[in-house]
Amino acid sequence: MAGQAHLFKSTVNEYLESLSETVHSKLYKSPATCLAIFRLLPSLSKFYVMTLLFNEDSTSYANLNRWLKVPPTSSKAHPHITPTKLYQNECLKRLKALNLIKDVRKTVTHPTTGKSTTVVLFQLNPIFRASFRDAVTGGGSASAFGDASDRVESKRDDLQTMFSDNVTIDYLDSYSLMKWENILHFMVGTELLSSPSVGVLSLLRHSGLMELEADREAKTEAKTESSSTMTQYSLNTLKNMKITNEGFQFLLQDINSQIWTLLLEYLKMSEKLMMDPVEVLNFIFMLGSLELGKGYPTAMLSDTQIIMLEDLVDYGLIYYPKPVEPESVSMDVDEGPEGETLEQNERDDVVANRLFYPTRLATTLTSDSMTFKSASTAMTQATAEADSGSGKDMGNVILETNFKLYCYTTSPLQVAILNLFVHLKSRFSNMVTGAITRESIRKALTNGITAEQIIKYLESHAHSQMKKLAEERLVKKLDFENSTNSASDAADTVLEVLPPTVVDQIKLWQLELDRIQTFQGYLFKDFVNDQEFELLSTYGEEVGILLWKDVQSRRFFVTQEGNKQLIDYAARALRRQKQNGERAATPL
Amino acid sequence: MSRRQGPNYAELEAGNYEDEFVSSGDSSVTDYSDYEAEKKKSRAKGKKAKQAVRKIKKQKDDKEFSEDELITINLDRPPDFVPDTVSNLFGRADFTYLKLKPDHASRPIWISPTDGKIILESFSPLSEQAQDFLVTIAEPISRPSFIHEYRITTHSLYAAVSVGLETDDIISVLNRLSKVPVAPSVVNFIKSATLSYGKVKLVLKHNRYFVESSQAEILQMLLKDEVIGALRIQSETTTTTSDGLVQTKAPSQGDLVIPGTKKPDGTYVNAEPAKTDDVEDIFANVIGEGDDDDDDLDTVHSFEISAGSVETVKKRCQEIDYPMLEEYDFRNDTRNPNLDIDLKPSTQIRPYQEKSLSKMFGNGRARSGIIVLPCGAGKTLVGITAACTIRKSVIVLCTSSVSVMQWRQQFLQWCTIQPENVAVFTSESKEMFSGDAGLVVSTYSMVANTRNRSHDAQKVMDFLTSREWGFIILDEVHVVPAAMFRRVVTTIAAHAKLGLTATLVREDEKISDLNFLIGPKLYEANWMELAQKGHIANVQCAEVWCPMTSEFYQEYLREKSRKRMLLYIMNPTKFQACQFLIHYHENRGDKIIVFSDNVYALQEYALKLGKPFIYGSTPQQERMNILQNFQYNDQVNTIFLSKVGDTSIDLPEATCLIQISSHYGSRRQEAQRLGRILRAKRRNDEGFNAFFYSLVSKDTQEMYYSTKRQAFLVDQGYAFKVITHLHGMENLPNLAYSTSKERRELLQEILLKNEDAAGIEYGEDSENLVGGGVDKRARFNASRTVGSLASLAGGEDMAYVEHSKNRNKELHHPFFQKTLYNKKKK
Repeated sequence: MAGQAHLFKSTVNEYLESLSETVHSKLYKSPATCLAIFRLLPSLSKFYVMTLLFNEDSTSYANLNRWLKVPPTSSKAHPHITPTKLYQNECLKRLKALNLIKDVRKTVTHPTTGKSTTVVLFQLNPIFRASFRDAVTGGGSASAFGDASDRVESKRDDLQTMFSDNVTIDYLDSYSLMKWENILHFMVGTELLSSPSVGVLSLLRHSGLMELEADREAKTEAKTESSSTMTQYSLNTLKNMKITNEGFQFLLQDINSQIWTLLLEYLKMSEKLMMDPVEVLNFIFMLGSLELGKGYPTAMLSDTQIIMLEDLVDYGLIYYPKPVEPESVSMDVDEGPEGETLEQNERDDVVANRLFYPTRLATTLTSDSMTFKSASTAMTQATAEADSGSGKDMGNVILETNFKLYCYTTSPLQVAILNLFVHLKSRFSNMVTGAITRESIRKALTNGITAEQIIKYLESHAHSQMKKLAEERLVKKLDFENSTNSASDAADTVLEVLPPTVVDQIKLWQLELDRIQTFQGYLFKDFVNDQEFELLSTYGEEVGILLWKDVQSRRFFVTQEGNKQLIDYAARALRRQKQNGERAATPL
Repeated sequence: MSRRQGPNYAELEAGNYEDEFVSSGDSSVTDYSDYEAEKKKSRAKGKKAKQAVRKIKKQKDDKEFSEDELITINLDRPPDFVPDTVSNLFGRADFTYLKLKPDHASRPIWISPTDGKIILESFSPLSEQAQDFLVTIAEPISRPSFIHEYRITTHSLYAAVSVGLETDDIISVLNRLSKVPVAPSVVNFIKSATLSYGKVKLVLKHNRYFVESSQAEILQMLLKDEVIGALRIQSETTTTTSDGLVQTKAPSQGDLVIPGTKKPDGTYVNAEPAKTDDVEDIFANVIGEGDDDDDDLDTVHSFEISAGSVETVKKRCQEIDYPMLEEYDFRNDTRNPNLDIDLKPSTQIRPYQEKSLSKMFGNGRARSGIIVLPCGAGKTLVGITAACTIRKSVIVLCTSSVSVMQWRQQFLQWCTIQPENVAVFTSESKEMFSGDAGLVVSTYSMVANTRNRSHDAQKVMDFLTSREWGFIILDEVHVVPAAMFRRVVTTIAAHAKLGLTATLVREDEKISDLNFLIGPKLYEANWMELAQKGHIANVQCAEVWCPMTSEFYQEYLREKSRKRMLLYIMNPTKFQACQFLIHYHENRGDKIIVFSDNVYALQEYALKLGKPFIYGSTPQQERMNILQNFQYNDQVNTIFLSKVGDTSIDLPEATCLIQISSHYGSRRQEAQRLGRILRAKRRNDEGFNAFFYSLVSKDTQEMYYSTKRQAFLVDQGYAFKVITHLHGMENLPNLAYSTSKERRELLQEILLKNEDAAGIEYGEDSENLVGGGVDKRARFNASRTVGSLASLAGGEDMAYVEHSKNRNKELHHPFFQKTLYNKKKK
């Protein structure tokens, strides 16, 4: 899981690196953004930044090496490509790509010789330095990290108590999970009472996580056609979307990576919609540094960010209680945290200054701690405290050698994911049973899920009993091999958590689908005589463009590329024949 | 609750629990695969459908019903059940409404309310006890490593009741094991099934027949029945209670000790050591209360009937759904003389054998039934021990004369019976024992034969039918057709019947017949558990996919079904794979058996590879010779066997098995063949594995059948690894059919073959490994084929070539070989 998180963090970084220097400069004006970007850096880069932070002067590259204690290298042949060195370069490169450090050329005059040479020194980006200093020291504007509502609300005690009553952290957690799982459920094709909003759906489509029948056709016909993906569809059309290969991969990631994936896609889309990426990014990064369970006023947000706010509500990143029309003030106060009653007492001026609540999904965006490991674990944690044994580790799937599958789960989402490639049979309160069949796997494969993904999923979710047995077997095997001194391949000593026969079979089912190859080309038929057929088909064979021929029905098939060649040849041959025929016909 | 009276029974009859369950059970059994039979079925279907339409029209009118007249179907779901987003995926099988018990983690099973399926966590600490219990009350469906599945059926409940379990015990133990409350539908089903089954016993005591039951009410009801009531006889010697029934103490195992299970120090302590694994005790452990405080259970009621009316009463009881269990109170049988037989002191029986026997002798009497143990797990010893417990005259019936000899030899090896008391009745030997009691070993076909017998044979048959037998052992019960069984069971009067088999599966539904002809299944062992404990060998199973060569596949697509079979069996790639595997395993030091149902292929393969082979028409002497050579001659490491070798051949040397053709989708055959290597001598060597290869031609019907065949073994926990490519096969020296010319020749040869060559062996003899020669006349049928003159003259790659010599002949001693061939020349 950690690996995957890393994978997606690097794509955030890639996105950031791709931005221009001017955008960077704008970004670095926000202390929150600076802090977030700092958090995303590898640890050595963090160290460099911290060292340079309060250093006004520029530093020489030689100093960099002096800060580090490099362990003695074993290989003397290439001292400059040790892993440490590579890492060092990598970290430096990252800082440069983000325009966090800048090269400064200085002319230095040698004290004795008087010669002047240009020395390349470097220093921290001054804008970043200023903002980040603020972030670290807590200086600068007070609302840099968002203005927690209690500061504003200290005057309005009545409201304050109300918030603490209604918008608890528990409520926010369940709210955000509900929203997020709704999206995931939609992706796996569960029938839902309310599908996610159009915005979410079109984002899913643009990101290629889901696709319409039409998209698939378009993709197979011409891969270059990208303009068609921009066509807007109505909600009802979008509801028929199917999950893609990428979409399934997406489902297997932990929730943090999932959110980042979608946010990056959102960024890309927002650029097309003429939204300022700086503001978007600033907002995202600011969310990461907000405090869970606190309300923040919308007043400090820009217009772009207000639009964004509405969008992010759909993903469960933000809880944004709906404003109440002033005239519809009714007195059902304890209606619960659905939002309607919250602002009842508020005046019109407050409506403009509504509060929004970041959820845990938002506040953990840039943090390393895996608060939600995955949606399903979070669910198990939330629902079943009693079931502590199976709730803690991820493993809850048992796969047997007879292709039957048992999954200890209470999460409808996991059931829905399993339903993508398992023929489900029955369900008890804490377990579902099913079987992997040829049909169920084929269904998954035609949906674009690959055998490797299925196997990976099953492996990472394998029940602890399966892991235990696999380990015991491996130990036994190794012992036996050691005792008999028989050489073993490295491949044989891999821990086999899943029954290898089932794994093989799933792969074989995939291969089965790959057996049909398609070629584009042309069919030649209706030949007048065998001679003509023979002539052209042998030519095709000789040139290597013939794909198939049937002598009996006098038909053959050539490749698309070879078609023209064959037609040319046919024309020539026919002409020659005609000439020969004429010659033969004319009497001497 | 289980003590309902007559009228209540009628109520239950009206309920539809039973129908629902029977039908769901049946549908799972009908995974029939013999496509010959399927064809027949579909032909009959059209006719049937018309009949059905007529019938339905006659019986029901299509009247419109008003809304409130319609019955709402009860889905067994509580009304407050709220389906969630994924509920619709499961349809009726969403049982989330069954709330978990607070301590569910420590309980090992779930019970499905609709089909009585039980899912068991085998890694639970309670699992061993739970397995013992479940195997008694339910049919095991699958038993791989982690999660086992069982299903409660009427038959399984019948078996449970017959070993002495009470309805309430079953329900309460289930409830204790279950993570979820046992649904009312399951409880009702158990009640309805156990209410009538096994409540009435027919006991032979002091040579008089008694109808016995622990519940006086049932007997009262039976006595009111016009048929049974009239047949009751009153006797003066027994005191009767006011209601006219005899009251006695319930039987208990008492001082009966199953031989071989006594304590190591050899003292006959009390019955405790033999009882420790008894089912009742397990339940007591689970339930937590040892003795039943119900006094009613300790007495039984009975009335006597005359010996002549036993058949009538049995039949009548069957009709009114109170089938009688037969128990043999052999300790109180003084009319039949005792047989001097006991296990030798050195003989030790294994825990699972003991467990199966304790089911049979649970209350000190002998129950009739079937014990299911994997091949090579010592079924013979179970039979012998049972015989030593009953100690009356015993008759053993098996499938072939080879196994007759094996049984005889085993009896002499394991117990103290004198050789003169052991008689063998086969076509060769027809002596009988001389004493009062003895042991007879014979085959089903000898006993069930209806054709004219020789004088000697008739004399022996008269001897067999004239006497009363204490015990009959029926070996390999799964292979015998029901009609033959019925004849055997009716001609030989035996008090207790024991069926032995490894695979209680048949592709037809004749298994349930056995339930009534012999008795319920008493015990079924877990294959994987026995393999783990080293009682049977560990087997690596593999399915080798052999792609069809393009020439063969082209013909395959063109040909009719019978010929197709020949094409996929004779697929050159398959031949190469077989050759490679034989080569590889012979080099490893394995002894290999190659199985082929198809005789033509068997001969072709064996001749080409120069290996000895046995099939239906191999003479007896040659068979014995080949088998002995395989066992003791290290030059003969591979033999080819046709179907005759499927069952009851005991070759502990064999460690590798290759199957090149098989009988459609027969799960039984696959398991039986696997059984040939389960008893491998070397099984307890560390890291030893036996190998089982099934060669299938890719993209042919064989693939489909192969999956079907494996179903039984896969459910037992075996895993078939698919091998798509054998590494190094191309580099094998002398690889057959490596050139396309050779392959074309082979193809031509096959295409010229008669369709009959594609068939498998037929006739009774095919079941017997050693049954003597075959009717010679049947062998001389000319084959007529269409061929061009050119092909007959040697064009189209056909030529007369003697490919290889028959290796069978070489196995003769050189001296005999010479004389044999000299004789032939004359």
